[in-house]
Amino acid sequence: MRNFNVRDVLVGACSLAAGAALIAGVPSAARAQVNGVTPTEISIGAIGALTGPLAFIGAPGRDSLSMAFDEINAKGGVCGRKLHLDFEAASSPAESIAAAKKLVEEDKVFIFVLASGSTGAAAAADYVRQVGVPTYNLYGSTPIIRNPFAKNVFNGAVVPVEVSAGALIKMFSDGGYKPKKFGILAGTYAFPQATLKAAEDIFKRDKADFTVEQFDIGARDFTSQLVSLQRQNVDSILVLGSFSEAGFAIKQAREMGMTNIRWVVDGSAVSSAIVPILGNADGIRGYYNAPAFPGQTPATREFEARLKKFLGSVPQGRPSIYDLIGYGSGYVVAEAIQATHCQLTRGNLINAWSHLKDAGPTKRGGLDVTFPESYTPTDHQGVYRIGAAIVKDGKWRVYRVINKP
Amino acid sequence: MSERRPDVSALGPALLILFCAAVGLKLGSYPQYVAAIAIISMLAGIALVVLVGLGRCITLASGSFMAIGAYVSTLAVTDLRIPYLATLVLAAAAGGCAGWLIAFPGTRFRGHNLAMVTLVFQSVCIILIRESTWLTGGAEGIHVPAPRLFGLTVTSDRSFLILIGIAAAAMTLLVTVLVRGRFGKNLQAAAGNEIAAEAFGVSVRDYLTAAFIVSSATIGFAGALLAPRVRILDPDSFGVLDSIFMLAYPIVGGMQSIWGGLLGGGGLRVLPELLRPVADYQELFFATLVILVVLFFPGGLSDLIRRACALVVKQDRLPAAEPAPVERPPSPVPAKYKQYADELLVVEGVDKHFDALHAVNGASLRVPVGGIHGLIGPNGAGKTSLFNIISGFLDADGGKVAFADTSLLGLRARDRIRLGMTRTFQNVAIFGQLSCLENVIIGLGRNAVLPAMAASFDGFAGGMASARERRRAFVALESVGLADQAQARAGSLSLGDQRRLELARAIVSEPRLILLDEPVSGVAVSEVEDLRQLLLRINAERQIAMLVVEHNIPFVTMLCRSLSVMGAGRILAEGKPAEVVSLPIVRQLYFGEEVAA
Amino acid sequence: MLGELGFVLLAGVKFGALYALAALGLVVVHKATKTVNFAHGAFAMLGAFASFLIVVKWQWAYWAAYLLVPPAIGLVAAALEFVVLRRLRQADMFTVVIATIFLGIALAEAFRLTYNTELLAVPALFTGPPLVVEGLFITRDTAWVIAGALATAVACIILFRYGRFGRGMRAMAANIRGAQLCGYSIDGVYMLAWFLGGALAGLTGVFIAPVTGVSVDLAISIITAGFVAGVIGGFDSPQGAIVGGLLLGIAESLAAAYVSSAMKNCVSFLLLFVVLMWRPEGLFAERAGRSV
Repeated sequence: MRNFNVRDVLVGACSLAAGAALIAGVPSAARAQVNGVTPTEISIGAIGALTGPLAFIGAPGRDSLSMAFDEINAKGGVCGRKLHLDFEAASSPAESIAAAKKLVEEDKVFIFVLASGSTGAAAAADYVRQVGVPTYNLYGSTPIIRNPFAKNVFNGAVVPVEVSAGALIKMFSDGGYKPKKFGILAGTYAFPQATLKAAEDIFKRDKADFTVEQFDIGARDFTSQLVSLQRQNVDSILVLGSFSEAGFAIKQAREMGMTNIRWVVDGSAVSSAIVPILGNADGIRGYYNAPAFPGQTPATREFEARLKKFLGSVPQGRPSIYDLIGYGSGYVVAEAIQATHCQLTRGNLINAWSHLKDAGPTKRGGLDVTFPESYTPTDHQGVYRIGAAIVKDGKWRVYRVINKP
Repeated sequence: MSERRPDVSALGPALLILFCAAVGLKLGSYPQYVAAIAIISMLAGIALVVLVGLGRCITLASGSFMAIGAYVSTLAVTDLRIPYLATLVLAAAAGGCAGWLIAFPGTRFRGHNLAMVTLVFQSVCIILIRESTWLTGGAEGIHVPAPRLFGLTVTSDRSFLILIGIAAAAMTLLVTVLVRGRFGKNLQAAAGNEIAAEAFGVSVRDYLTAAFIVSSATIGFAGALLAPRVRILDPDSFGVLDSIFMLAYPIVGGMQSIWGGLLGGGGLRVLPELLRPVADYQELFFATLVILVVLFFPGGLSDLIRRACALVVKQDRLPAAEPAPVERPPSPVPAKYKQYADELLVVEGVDKHFDALHAVNGASLRVPVGGIHGLIGPNGAGKTSLFNIISGFLDADGGKVAFADTSLLGLRARDRIRLGMTRTFQNVAIFGQLSCLENVIIGLGRNAVLPAMAASFDGFAGGMASARERRRAFVALESVGLADQAQARAGSLSLGDQRRLELARAIVSEPRLILLDEPVSGVAVSEVEDLRQLLLRINAERQIAMLVVEHNIPFVTMLCRSLSVMGAGRILAEGKPAEVVSLPIVRQLYFGEEVAA
Repeated sequence: MLGELGFVLLAGVKFGALYALAALGLVVVHKATKTVNFAHGAFAMLGAFASFLIVVKWQWAYWAAYLLVPPAIGLVAAALEFVVLRRLRQADMFTVVIATIFLGIALAEAFRLTYNTELLAVPALFTGPPLVVEGLFITRDTAWVIAGALATAVACIILFRYGRFGRGMRAMAANIRGAQLCGYSIDGVYMLAWFLGGALAGLTGVFIAPVTGVSVDLAISIITAGFVAGVIGGFDSPQGAIVGGLLLGIAESLAAAYVSSAMKNCVSFLLLFVVLMWRPEGLFAERAGRSV
């Protein structure tokens, strides 16, 4: 008997209108181009986190890609066209898919770049595999992105976890050091867990003596884990986590008198920002996805200067590895486009990309800050090399390059 | 007069969802994806309207409920090979169970403690999912297979949108019916005024528990719809921040109606897509938006729209839409009442101590069938304590309180309405958010959660029972002279009218005794006499006995047929009003007159 | 083995002292206004950030951070009370809690937007060689954090007990009407309470900055720990806050060391749960009574 209340109907009608407006309002703009190529421009879409805990990956990705494209465009662009970066913010899987769909289906980008870490990239990768757009994964190391193999997905500078875990373990014996018992300190979140699995496999295969302690994301107190490692007389510790977690763990270990330990940290922890946490970080090792650390070579010093100029000011901890990779990858994209001989279709691009040899910034006059990338039709991992880095006099430097194991 | 008319407007929210889905189908695949995600958020929005808006419980655990739904559905498909559609039900059930679990502490606390308890639940849930690597794939997440329905695999955005639109519309209809019907009204009553709700048989704890269950089941269901859309499930996608931003859905949209949940959920999910160019500022924008809404538009978006609409159409209450009152149903004293003794309420030797204070000291009084008995005494005499013991809001230390030969001691306040005993309150305790008619319907009793849910569906279907209830409530309103205000919000009435409304609510269940707690306190002098006449008429026509606690001596003496006087916890005098007030001991007590020895 | 337990307890006490300080700020605001300020963690995060600016960015003397940050954050808090919370004086607790939750988010986001980085490191005040007691290394910084935080807390209790402000707040909490009649202005006391709460949060930030660094996560971790410590001790009791903070710190540390590292977060939740169910008014409530 609740009667048809005029006011309810009105509210309903207004809501309907609002709902329709919202949905219809989702940008469904320019669809003039078919595949992101116009006579003057090639548009390249990218997603990455600009807010939240993974913003430290997405933001450098956006900055360094645009810097690379600016440089390329300043020299006349590729195939007579300018490269245009269309960057969409996305952190969670739901947002990543939405952003990927927008770029691929609405904006019709020519190439899709994944500049986000872990699950966001994994969710989007699943989608791009379906639609077949040429996709370039910059930072994701997890197997979910790489398996199953897809013709259109290319993995750049970041090596798969099996490779990086192997390199990390190798670093323990550098300089004639003989580890007796290993300890692993691993974060419970996605990044470190993938590496942990790979490292455990290698240790088991080598029948090494090791023990694992875990910590939560953002942990600042490692006393309990360290006490346990100390109890087991561990002399070599692998830290899988961010630089802040690694920094505080090492700092506390020293405060507890654990001074004769060889520390090796995950790539995500190799950052100049670890030094101010520790004060004295000398002797800490880790891998680096580039041949030289910022500040180590003239090229990287020049890179830092250019980034500073490009951004106005550079926050603490930058340029980071994500800046270097983003920059180098921007040039790889340009080279892949060039390799199509300017027959700009997606099919041609995928084909040309699958035959790239030693692609990188140097060929187009960019700064040599990354490992060159090579692809074959059956192997879409561009780089297998990794830099072994160590802190010396408060500065990270790459002391040798570990090739494909 | 068509009495059995289904509540068509309850279909509105579900239709809105179908409409959104239909609009989405006309667009490209990216808007279809966004529409699907937005519809899922709408579902979360209405779920939170139930708990946050109507139940006024803050929850920071929504993310974990969604995670529970998503994981249960996905694991049931992958590990147990249960068909996807069935897992939707499973997910809702799992969400409901989680809600039931959190309701244990959840119904005990309000405000900051509740916020924290739910935050705890959220964090522990995510830790558990992350640590149970063997089951959930841990932090790296698990892959969600494409759902299969009737032998078809759902992969395209279009088919996902159809699936999600229909499933969400069905769930929305369910929740809307509950919220608009008896269940929603009682829940609002429980959250709005706990004491009054308890007095009319609405168990606050039961209702809040039900609100937790309904809301988390809905969110669990939404999570199961979301899972195949996002392809990868990982615990960190359902974190604390997600929960906090979900809390913003009902606040921004409007907490008091389903429309608010829909608008808030849909709007806040689509907005980031529209705001992509300024994505950096998204979270700051959301947080600021919530604070602005809390400060300046506490009713949220839906309330703004409502007010705007009200400006356009100057429409008001719809008295004409109510059934024209037929002749008043005869209200004879039911036969079963007659078999009892003359004395309806018997209080004997009741004691109550508060630490050292002996508040009630061996008090006794009797209210005869159909009588009007007054209880007076100066401040601190123990009247209120005695009254609260009779009404069940205070436990006695000793003595006997019997109503129609049933002992009342140990019986909860909300059980008294069943026996035929209702009350009014010293500080009017109406349910301000509800209409007058809805207030009175709650007075009918039979407010346990499950019957109320059943009544919601009955009301939606336009069942006979609901029609009858509305008619009875309307008659009660009419007898206190508020028939023309039936659809008005109770909170907007004058104090005198609110007292009348309380009376209507107290008499609608045809009780045998009403406890009146200072029925004219704060009422304008001009209205006191009207109220007295009204009470006398009710007493005469409906044979309802009354126990009146009142300070206004002239009012009491003119209303009551017998009177007890309390002082320092004891009954000092008893008898006919005129005789009692002229007793020296009473005059001394009240007027400080020296008693000539 | 004493050494091992010693390290675990020392870490517990260190974090416990910081939790206590965080809880104390919550208690100060709650005592006067009967609301728990969910933006407290964000205030502390701002304090830590300010100390980064002073010590690292501008290279001023370290004591300047201890001197300048607490009043600065106090002013921010008082200003927010004036702009936002004052308008909600008549609203129910539900609305106020929601407002402070989102206020905290807004502040944390504002910080992230100005300094988009994962973590800012702040050096310790004292860096000399550690003190060695019975085979236990105690760094000077650890000693300073524990001693400084606890000394501040004790000073606050004394202020409460004997200061005019403390009396005013207690009067306000007991009976707003009565306190007004006695000449305490509600607006004045509320604002002062928020100022003091903010100042304590700022101080917490300065103490915690070298221990954890400055990051957005700090806001949530401080409010959670502070809240649990407050619940354990009772939101009306400054002494309770201190004991609650230390208890929480030690329990977390022990659970992580001897049960599992995942237990570390669970234990604070467990404590919260048990105390709320068993003694909702806290272990050190000043007066008996149901607090819901």
